[in-house]
Formats: sequence, structure tokens, C-alpha cells
Amino acid sequence: MKQLLSKITLWATALGLFSATLTAEMLDVEKTELKFGFIKLTDCAPIVIAKEKGFFSEEGLQVEVIAQPNWKTLLDNVISGNLDGAHMLSGQPIAATIGFGTKAHIITAFTMDLNGNGITVSNAIWEAMQENDWDLDVDQPEHPISADALKPIVEEKLIAGEKLQMGMVFPVSTHNYELRYWLAASGIHPGMYTTTDIGGRTDAEVELSVTPPPMMPATLEAGNIQGYCVGEPWNQQAVAKGIGVPVTSNYDIWKNNPEKVFGVTYKWAQENPQTHLAVVKALIRAGKWLDATDENGVLVNREEAARILSRPDYVGADYDVIKNSMTGYFYFQKTDKRPMPDFNVFFKYYCTYPWYSDGIWFLTQMRRWGQITEAKPAEWYFETAKEVYKPAVYLEAAKLLLAEGNIDEADIPWDTDGYKAPTSDFIDGILYDAKDPIGYLNSHDIGNKD
Amino acid sequence: MSIKYKILKAIDVAGLNFLRPVILLCYGEEPEEQIRKIGLFIAVPIMAFCLFLYLWGLFAPMHKTKSGEVPTPSVVWDSAKGVWAFHVREKNKANAYNLEGDSRDKLLEQAQTRLSELEPMVARVNEQLAEADGAMQSSLASKIEPIKAELDSSKNAMREAQKARQADLQARAKAIAADDTAAKEKLLEDYRAHLAQIETERESLRSYEEQIDEIHNADFPQRAEAIRAQSAIAEERQYLVKLIDTLENNRQQKLSDIETRLEGFESSYYEASGADLLKHAKSITRTESLMVNAADSEYAKPMTLPDQVLRSVACVFAGFLVASLIAIPVGIVCGLSPIMMSALTPFIALFKPVSPIVWLPIFFIIVGGFIPDPDKHWLIAGLAELPLIGWMKINPAFIASALTVAMCSLWPTLVNTALGVASIDKDHINVARVLRLGFWSRLIKIVIPSSLPLTFAGLRISLGVGWMVLIAAELLSSSEGLGKFVWDMFNNGSSQTFAQMFVVVFVVGIIGLLLDRIMIVFQRLVSFDESPTSI
Repeated sequence: MKQLLSKITLWATALGLFSATLTAEMLDVEKTELKFGFIKLTDCAPIVIAKEKGFFSEEGLQVEVIAQPNWKTLLDNVISGNLDGAHMLSGQPIAATIGFGTKAHIITAFTMDLNGNGITVSNAIWEAMQENDWDLDVDQPEHPISADALKPIVEEKLIAGEKLQMGMVFPVSTHNYELRYWLAASGIHPGMYTTTDIGGRTDAEVELSVTPPPMMPATLEAGNIQGYCVGEPWNQQAVAKGIGVPVTSNYDIWKNNPEKVFGVTYKWAQENPQTHLAVVKALIRAGKWLDATDENGVLVNREEAARILSRPDYVGADYDVIKNSMTGYFYFQKTDKRPMPDFNVFFKYYCTYPWYSDGIWFLTQMRRWGQITEAKPAEWYFETAKEVYKPAVYLEAAKLLLAEGNIDEADIPWDTDGYKAPTSDFIDGILYDAKDPIGYLNSHDIGNKD
Repeated sequence: MSIKYKILKAIDVAGLNFLRPVILLCYGEEPEEQIRKIGLFIAVPIMAFCLFLYLWGLFAPMHKTKSGEVPTPSVVWDSAKGVWAFHVREKNKANAYNLEGDSRDKLLEQAQTRLSELEPMVARVNEQLAEADGAMQSSLASKIEPIKAELDSSKNAMREAQKARQADLQARAKAIAADDTAAKEKLLEDYRAHLAQIETERESLRSYEEQIDEIHNADFPQRAEAIRAQSAIAEERQYLVKLIDTLENNRQQKLSDIETRLEGFESSYYEASGADLLKHAKSITRTESLMVNAADSEYAKPMTLPDQVLRSVACVFAGFLVASLIAIPVGIVCGLSPIMMSALTPFIALFKPVSPIVWLPIFFIIVGGFIPDPDKHWLIAGLAELPLIGWMKINPAFIASALTVAMCSLWPTLVNTALGVASIDKDHINVARVLRLGFWSRLIKIVIPSSLPLTFAGLRISLGVGWMVLIAAELLSSSEGLGKFVWDMFNNGSSQTFAQMFVVVFVVGIIGLLLDRIMIVFQRLVSFDESPTSI
């Protein structure tokens, strides 16, 4: 390929022609040695794959990919400049930009994946849920499983003066909002954030606390929490170790929900625009590689990806455990293996485009649970999403890739206004229309209404 | 004779006194006594260690945890080899990026041959695994099915009975008149009995469930072996593919690619004329800057354990140096002046017990304040240019960890120095007074030399404390080093995790031991009295 390209170049120059596409092959990047942070989760795959499959290096970038101990340290390292960019929770750039938690202007031009999380409960809670609902006590219970069977357990505990404890990974994580959504959809109050209660436990019937993803199984086993919501491989790990049962995946809570993004600081993006473009290009290619299928729709590269991710400096869990969800299967129990081809989506459904509507959903959840303390007008939601999500960078990178022939015209939503079509693919069937954030807030029973 | 004493002296200074009887035996001095000593100081520790390994290997597999069995010495050794192999592979890839000419071609050929050897093996191990999987599934199914059938049937029977009893109670409840207290009491009693029965039924089912769980969790050595074989081959294959890819696209290749392109642009520049010239000039300058970038580029190698060990040692010495630079002068001042001693005592008492876990975040924030933009800061950039430590990529996390080490380890040196200075022989002071020595000569000729043994004893303790503190500091700051390695491996939660922790125990222990030995040598060198040093 390389040889062919250089031959073409010579040929073109010999004819005295000048082709813009050939110079576009390599951007004049400001910075060639980059450091990206990630958390040990399978959805860091686009960054890892872009490095290992040489997509970064083809852009002239040498990228070090460094594991971070938790989301807070990761964000701090990006803000302080120790890292150039990182695998981030969708809520992190938004929360940092509006100043919930650490304040810093973080932007994203690339959504890394859809779905990929699960809610796991301890064996004891699962048995109690099965007692409450005998339909769950079969080898393959019908999905989606709502928190209805959990409600009596929560109430019983409340009478005994205890609260069920559950873990999530970060206050502004998708996991926090999904767990809350799942609980609230069955009428269990997960607690509100207030100006004085930054732990989000006011009025809680179930108390949620923060635990870094890799620590989840150990914390569950130690009995500090009775359930958790986390990304892979930490749900499959619970099944493999026999310490808990994943009851639902976030695919059932909201079909094809946005999960992680690639975040950099606004300042970094201003100083290194070409580098940013080159990085996004490599990441789009990595996403496409990860979601490549054969003519039967079977994902062809995922086993190789799982093998790469199982390296100790990346996710590091056993290949067997990572392989399950990455190749489109999920063990809900040892006896309950199901095909879930969309458990992790890295490219399909225009997944990598930075949708404003995704950002607005996270903003509505921050408002719903009181992380945003005062009511805001709809315009504020639109503008904040625009401050964080940068589809312009994404589209420019996509255009270059199209010219190089690395992606197809149909891979990218070229003409979208950045808003996905309204959807009611939620576990409770409530319609989400990003163009009406206030109306959406008001359609829920539990949580703030404006 | 003089050689013998020189050797003995050297052994003594190096703190290797256990070798003394060996030397004496060589010279034939009191052979029986020497053999007894060799037995005591060399054979006994070796035997104890062997016994320890034996007992470890014996008892470890007995304790099962959900993260797997406690690893035996051989598993830990394998895991150490795995860590080393990872290091070697990463290093090879980094080297491959820089190779040129013949050595590149040779390595490329080697890698390709090995890869073609591996291909048939891949299919074979996959087959073996599929076979083992099938065997396991059928064995599981045959063992579980009868239990499962029993469980299901008794569960259904119980549920039916439960429903019947519930319905019965319901029917009776309806029939009870409002004022029939006796019947009501009976109903309540029966309801309690009903609940208790549910509980006992549940208990009886539990034993079936436990049996099933046990079968599921039982080891299946054939499959574990097949997985190991598959992983070993797949990992090597992946490494070779990446190595070949790196060789094919390494710096040299990139440079020559860009060069051809540049030549093309240059020739078209000289052919062109008029308005086009600037456009062509732009492509030339851009390609030139690409070339500079490519020429400077290095393979981004992840830090592996040996690198992390070196970085940790550098970090502990950096912290130790800072600690010594503070503790020794302050200790001398305290020893000389009772007023200073009295003034500083509360600070020493207050700060000494504070844990590194508390200091680290404080230093982290302070250092971060001084270095807002690490990439462009003169200190970080300057350190990155230094020859021996440049590769370590010293960053604010490293500095914060080093300062935490310094903060926690300066106290033993400070206190010991102060004590050493305060307890100088009065005769020496009197001599100094008679000789009318000035303050500085008194300090350098009398005070410091006579306090040195205690100061070094303090330094030795400080270094030991620093090494222990460092692991915790690195773990928190995620500064590349042993602490980060431990944390990353723990977070991996793989089947290797447990064994890797044991590897780290030995690595940390051995390095700690070496550091201690080094300090003993220094301590011996400055001790002019015969005071023995503890081992």
C-alpha cells in the first residue's frame, strides 16, 4: 500500500499534477509524542486498537497509553497536562465544563462506544429477588429484568433501619445515571444531590457510593455493597468468580445509549488542532476496525481485540472473561449465556459521531438528580452541549478519511444537525426528545422537575 | 597473611560477615570451629528458606479464594518469567523501531519464520481447547443434570405445597367470624408455621444448589492447560505480528517514504512557475517538518517491571537526598543548641507520625501548583534531556512521590544526628576550646566526625522507611514504579494477579535488602570504633 502510494505520488508529480488528497494523507501535527489515559475497561478499545493496529503511527503519532487508577485521577491528569487526552465517561467533559466537581473546559469530538455496562447484584440479593418473583428462578429468565423484584427487599431493609448499598463508578458516570434510572423506573428512590449533600443520598431508599471499576468485584465480595453498575469485564468477572449475578445490561435500560467519549482540554485542542484531527482520524479507523463484520454479520476482529486488551498493561483481565462480551455474548449466570451482538458498539449506528443529543441527555440527568442545583432554560442545554461536543472536528477528520478511502460515504451522518431522532427505547418507555429537555425532565415521577 | 586480613576487613566493611568462616576455613584456621560457623550462618538460613518454600508449596493450594488458589512457589516463578517475557517483548518492539539495514532485515526474517512456524500450532491449540471445552461441558452436564432435575422437581413440589397452604389459609381466614378469637389465634399460629416451613424448605433446596455450584467451580485441569497453551501461542503470535508491523513501518521506512515524497515535491517546484510556486513551496516545507518529526520519533514503549523498579529506586534516592539535605543540618543545629532542640521538638513530635497517605495529596497539589504545564516546564523538560534519567520521564507525580518519601523519612536522620551531636565526648569539646578553634573548624573537625556513626545509623533507618513509604506513594500518585505495578496488577483481576503480587513481594524485599546493605557499608566506613552493627 505504502509503495503503491509513493509510486502514485511520483507518477502524479511526473505529470505535473498536484493532488490534494495525497498531501492530506499525513497531517502536519504539532506534537508527535502523546500520552493518553484510560481506565481498565473493555470500552477503552478504540484507543488501544488505534495504537496496536498502527493507526496512530500512520498519522505520525507515537502514543503512550497509560492506565489510570480511577476516574478522578484520570480527569485531574488531563486537566493538569500530564495526559494529552483520555478515555472519559460521557458525563465528565460536561460536568467539568459546567463546573460540577473540578472545573475545566473539556471537549470531545469522538464518542467511543455505545452500551457496554451491566448491573450486578450479590448472590444473596439475587436469591431474594427470585423468591419475590418466581419467574426469575429459571435458567434463562425473560429480559429485561426491572427492579420490581428488588423493591420488596429495599422496603424490608428500610423497615429494619438499613439501606441497600450499591456501587457505581463516578458521580457523573453513565453508570450512576443508569442505575438511578433502573431503580427509579421501579419506584425506588436512589437519592438526590443537593448543594450540601454532594454524596447524592438525600431521601435515598438505596444508597449509591463510588468505587473504581476494577475494585467492584472485590468490594461486592467484601460485603460493603450488595450490587453495582459497571462496565465490562467487571460483570463477567463476578460471574466467573461466582460472587454475583448480572441482572440487566444497560442495553435493556436504554437501547444504544452513549457510553464513553475521548476527551481533551479545550486549551490542548486550541494549541494542537492538527494533532487533535489526526487523533480523531485514527480513532474513527479503530472504531471501524472493531465493528468490522463478515457477510454473515459476525464480528471478525473482536477476538484479536480481546487478545490485545487482555495484555497486562491494557485491561489485563483473562482473555476468556474479556472475550465474552467483546465477541457479542454475555453470561448472566453460569447457566445463562446469551448472544448480545450489540453489547459493545464501537462504530455502527453512527456511534462515533459526537451527538449534541447525547450531551443533553446527561445534562437532563444531572438536573434530574440535583447535580445541577437550579432550573435552567432549554437554550442553556443546547448551548452547553455545543460547548462540549465538537462535531466539526469529527466531520473534518471523517472527510480526510473518506478522501483517503479509509471509510465509506455511508459511515458518517454528514448532514445531521447533531440531534438523534426522539426515542422511547427506555426500560420504562418514556420518550426522550433532546430538543425538549424540560419536557423530558417533567415526564419522570422521581427526581427534579422544572 | 596480609591478603587474608585485607579480605576479612573487606568482608567486615561490606557487612558480609557470614562469609568470614569460609575464608578462615580456606586458610585452615580451626577447621572444626569454622565448619560449625558455616553450618550456623550459611547452611541454617538456606535450609530454613527451603523449608519455607516447601511449606508454602504444601499449604498454599489448600486455601481456595474466589480469586483462585494461593499460588505455589512454582506458579509465582512462572508468573515472574511471564513478567520478564513481557518486558523483553516490549523492549524488542522498541528496538525494532530504531533498527536499520541488515539487522532489520535479519530480525524481520527471523520473526516471519517463527510466525509461519506458529500458524499450524494455532489451529492445533484451538482444536485442543474446543475438545477440552466439549469434554468439560458434557461432564458438567452429566453431573449436574440429575441434581438439577431433583432440585427442580422438589422445588416445584414445594411451590405447589406452598400455594396450596396459602390458599388453605386464605380460605380459612375468610371463614373466621369477627369475634372468633380462638380461631384467629390458631390461624396466626398456622401462618407462622407456614412461614417457618417455607424457610426449612428453602434450606433443604440450598444443599442442592451448593452441590451444583461446587461442580461449576471445580477445576478442570485439562481445560486450564488447553487455555494456557492457547494463550501462550496467541500471545506470541500477536507479539510477532506487531513486531513485523513495527519493522515494516519503522523510523527508517517512514523517513525514506517522506524523502521520496519530498523529492517529488522539489522537482515539481522547480518545474512550476508563477502562482503555483508558493503552493509547492508550502508542500515542501510541510514535508520537511514531517521529516524532522519522523526523525525524532521513538516507539512509545509501556513501562515494564524492570523500568519501574529503576524508576522507583531513583525516586527513593531523590527523596532520600532531599531528606538528608534537610535532616542533617537541622539535626546538627538541634544537637548544638538546646534552644533550637526545644523549639523544634513539638514539630518533630507532631509531623513524625503522619502517614504518607496524608502527605502525598498535599505534595501533589503543591507540586501541581508549581508546574502548571508539565510538557513546557523548564524543570521537567530539563530533566528529560539528562542522559541517565531522561528515559524515566520525571513528572510531577514522581516529584510529589519523592517529596512524600523525604517528608516521611527525614525524622530518623534528624533525631539521630541531633543525638550524635549532643553526645560528643566532653573531652573533645574541651580540647577544641584549649586550641581556640573557631566555630567552623570545630564543626568540621570535631562535631561532624564524632556524630557520623549515629547519623549514618539514622540514614540507614531513613532509607528503609523511605522504601516502604514509596510503594504507597506511587500507588496513590500513579507515578510509574513498583507501586503502580502492584495497583495495575491488582486491578487487572486476572488469574495471574495473585501470583504477580507475590513476585512483587520478592522484588521489593530484595531491593530493600540491597539498599540496606549499601547503607551498612557506609555506616561501617565511618565507624572508627568497634561497635557492632546489627544485621
